[in-house]
Amino acid sequence: MLRYGLRRAASMLVSLAVASVVIFCAIEVVPGDPAQYMLGLNASPDTVAALRAELGLDQQPVTRYMSWITGMLRGDFGISYTYRTPVAQMVADRLWISLPLALYALILSTAIAFPVGIMAAARRGSVVDMGVIGATQLGIAVPNFWFAMILVVIFAINLGWFSAGGFPGWEGGLLAGIKALTLPAIALALPQASILARVMRSALIDTLGEDFVRTARAKGLSRRQVLWRHALRNALIPVLTIIGLQFSFLLAGAIIIENVFYLPGLGRLVFQAIAARDLIVVESVVMLLVFAVILVTFLVDLAYAWVDPRLRGAR
Amino acid sequence: MSLLRVRGLTVAIHGTPILREVSLDVAPGRILGVIGESGSGKSMTALSVMRLLPSGAEVSGTVRLDGQVLTDFSERRMRAVRGAQVGMVFQEPMTALNPLQTIGDQVSETLRLHDGLSPRLARARAREVLDRVGLPDPEFPLGRYPHELSGGQRQRVVIAMAIARRPKLLIADEPTTALDVTTQAQILALIRRLVDEDGMGAILITHDLAVVSGVADDVAIMRAGEVVEAGPTAEVFAHMRHPYTRALFDASGHHPDRPPHEGDVPLLQVEGAVRRYPGRRLGLWGRAAPKVAVDGVSFNLRHGENLGLVGESGCGKSTLTRAILGLEPLQGGRIALDGAPIVAGAVSVAARARLQVVFQDPYGSFNPRHRVARLVTEPFHLLDRPPTGPARDIAVAEALEAVGLQASDARKHIHEFSGGQRQRIAIARALIIKPSLIVLDEAVSALDVQVRAQILDLLADLTERYRLSYLFISHDLHVVRRITDRVLVMKEGRIVEEGPTEAVFANPTHAYTRSLLAATPVLPTRAAG
Amino acid sequence: MRALVLGGLLAAVFVAAAAVSFVWTPGDVTAVDIANRLQPPGGSYPLGTDHFGRDLVSMVMVGARVSIAVALVAVGIGMGLGVPLGLAAAATRGSWLDEVIMRGNDLVFAFPALLIAILITAVFGPSALNAIIAIGIFNVPVFARVTRGAALSLWTREFILAARVAGKGRIRISVEHILPNVANLLIVQGTIQFSLGILAEAGLSYVGLGAQPPTPSWGRMLAEAQTMISFAPHLALVPGLSIVLMVLGLNLMGDGLRDLLDPRVRKARA
Repeated sequence: MLRYGLRRAASMLVSLAVASVVIFCAIEVVPGDPAQYMLGLNASPDTVAALRAELGLDQQPVTRYMSWITGMLRGDFGISYTYRTPVAQMVADRLWISLPLALYALILSTAIAFPVGIMAAARRGSVVDMGVIGATQLGIAVPNFWFAMILVVIFAINLGWFSAGGFPGWEGGLLAGIKALTLPAIALALPQASILARVMRSALIDTLGEDFVRTARAKGLSRRQVLWRHALRNALIPVLTIIGLQFSFLLAGAIIIENVFYLPGLGRLVFQAIAARDLIVVESVVMLLVFAVILVTFLVDLAYAWVDPRLRGAR
Repeated sequence: MSLLRVRGLTVAIHGTPILREVSLDVAPGRILGVIGESGSGKSMTALSVMRLLPSGAEVSGTVRLDGQVLTDFSERRMRAVRGAQVGMVFQEPMTALNPLQTIGDQVSETLRLHDGLSPRLARARAREVLDRVGLPDPEFPLGRYPHELSGGQRQRVVIAMAIARRPKLLIADEPTTALDVTTQAQILALIRRLVDEDGMGAILITHDLAVVSGVADDVAIMRAGEVVEAGPTAEVFAHMRHPYTRALFDASGHHPDRPPHEGDVPLLQVEGAVRRYPGRRLGLWGRAAPKVAVDGVSFNLRHGENLGLVGESGCGKSTLTRAILGLEPLQGGRIALDGAPIVAGAVSVAARARLQVVFQDPYGSFNPRHRVARLVTEPFHLLDRPPTGPARDIAVAEALEAVGLQASDARKHIHEFSGGQRQRIAIARALIIKPSLIVLDEAVSALDVQVRAQILDLLADLTERYRLSYLFISHDLHVVRRITDRVLVMKEGRIVEEGPTEAVFANPTHAYTRSLLAATPVLPTRAAG
Repeated sequence: MRALVLGGLLAAVFVAAAAVSFVWTPGDVTAVDIANRLQPPGGSYPLGTDHFGRDLVSMVMVGARVSIAVALVAVGIGMGLGVPLGLAAAATRGSWLDEVIMRGNDLVFAFPALLIAILITAVFGPSALNAIIAIGIFNVPVFARVTRGAALSLWTREFILAARVAGKGRIRISVEHILPNVANLLIVQGTIQFSLGILAEAGLSYVGLGAQPPTPSWGRMLAEAQTMISFAPHLALVPGLSIVLMVLGLNLMGDGLRDLLDPRVRKARA
């Protein structure tokens, strides 16, 4: 188990290193000089040179890459080109909206998908099953930001249960914060829950056709008992894969959904930064999100080992 | 008095008749062997008793267990019967256990379910049961997972689950078909012992007459959903009243006519062949010791000779076969066909053209998207100027006719043929470029006995007509005995015994050969008439 | 079969609308007509008009063009690169090449299409081409994985061994035997990625990383509708439903195709 965990951790570090190089190189090829851009066309060459030195832009790319990486490891993400404030602080403030939103949606999606998928598989071919197939087929087809708009029209504008957007800040209380994130989380979660419920259903149906299920039935277990005691855990393996993949979709989705609800999260930060050519902010946010995705992949790998004893021993 | 009494059992699934008026009796302390070829309905009979038929099944007739009419039971009452009064063992031990649960949990589940034992007590009982089926304590703790056990050991776990509650009836559906002969003998002995000790009745379903003749007290022979003959084993085998029984018996022991082989010119030479696989990785740098699959094997195969290669799974015969086919590199030694070296990735076209292969699986051996003509002519790729147009059609027709098919079959798709016909097509594909040597890799193992007998005849006939040599690889000693001139016995990567087939079978010199032969079930010699 | 026909019809309606829009649309999607702005559906404007007075039927038709083009080209990129990579990885299973391809796949998986789009936009500025590249890159590992997985199990089949014994090389076997046998799977996956591409394109153009004005696109129509949603909900409903119906059609088609082409399902039914 420990060896497996270490191997996965090593592979995660390699992925992170390569990802950071890719991101750095992508930003590196941007035409134009950020210092020039920040100071405007009328700046004197001396001022530009001074700013370049201050930002470290006069150094070799390898040196800059190393200082970017070591800086990030220390929590120093550099200074924003446009706001002239530490990027770390800006990102941290925004992260506390985007990350809880993605996690909230992930929990919702799982909480909806599991019972629905299990119910459909247990009553395969029934009216319930057909209903689930139809509803999830529709759920997958709905773009989450459009669904978000509809939720706003119904629950915020017409019913007035939620505010149409904005975020009171966590200092306004946990509950108020969660309430502000509820509509966006639902909008994000339902399409993903549709996918997950379908995966859960088909994984369970596949597992219920396995030989060991027949063995368990021959022991005298009922269909229901077999499903809960034997099939579910086996079906979890493909489901975990999808949950892992969904996190990156939810994170990306959160960035888009923030625009519907005017949430001051990473999404709004990064789009403003693109508009203002504040590349260091773009670079940091992208790196942070990639880090989150890779970390979740690693956690899913660990969860596999928890579910599947075959992974613990051998590799 | 019979324990299980099946009367007029008729089953149809979605309207397709599966069983017709099946009647069977099982007495306590006795084993009923149910024999049949694939599709004879023998497994469906077992599932009907357990009431575990697939959905869409319509059942009529009665199944009585110890006076209870199971066919009238509700699903709820039936659940109390399954596992408690009737235990079942399946064919495929590799997939019959839940891979995510320990064997202790899986065995104790039966006990907790029916007796409501506390987890601790159930585990203690599970321990006793595992001891009883030959998985004793220190080596096989309850915390083992299925993937840590061999096929035979897993089958013992499945048996433990089936007998944990001391059921009245044990149903074993092809319990040893997926196992090696020595393991098969152990599992059959275990079932016999449990039946004798507990006085339970048992149904042993198999396609293998020899297996049944060794352990079953009674037999029932099934064909196309019907029982054609039943009775005490010795009696049925002595009289064989039904022609089908006789046909099955003849096919099982069928010995094709072959003239003895003469001549001593080597065709295939294997000298000191070694194939090692790197050991599995330990940590980031370490590696386990390499695994030696083939460990210094040498032998010659002569022109026109049928050479057998036998051994149990994992003995290295598959690896050796692949090396001979030039698919697997060697770390030592050499292989040559008529002097031309065979080295993986660098086999000359001429050598390739003289060496063909027929595999085990008649279903996986062909690209499902191509027609027979294209499938059969694949080896033409090896000719400098492959025949085209009418010449190609003639070659295809000749090859198909040589294996007993028709020229018109060339236009069909592979899914239109039965397993035996497919194996004929596989032989036609090997034959079409007139090779010197055909490697038959378990080529008849997946076939029913009657089809197998026909294919063996065909092979014997082709040797003569085309001056072919065969390297016949099999785990089945009987088949090897019937078709080969000489035999090699392989164990743990080495050839442990080699000699003329009859001599080796009559007087095995190596202890391993002796144990293999002893474990192999034998057909009773047929009574006259 | 019903799913295939229904899904095919739905998708065909939008493909036809997109095709027709090249030669004819009911109204001009670039002309501003303030007199007829924000008309509700009905009358001479079956789906109403937007805040510039543009006919929504025409907007949806031209928008379909962008969506379909982006998603289709992205599937092409994904297949064109992913399938050969998957075939190569399977043919050289366990080698350094396989390892490099699979690690590369994992790496790309760590970049959701949106992040790729953000990076590209940061560098080159927003355009429909960005959306194509971002979604296309995202598709590559999907196709590579599907191809490799299916090819690996084929490589152990005996008909492949037979072809190897017949002296055929890895490349030839991959093209002659493996590819035709994974084609069905790729068609199904292609349909799924096509529908995901439509959704992704809508998302990207909604946040301004896709097609730029004045080209109409479904995502940007939604972005523009957002501020007017309380008094002109049809502006959001029309493009939104277009996306839903198009994606639904493609998904139904994918499911139908899988049932039709999967030999396991086919055998079970026979």
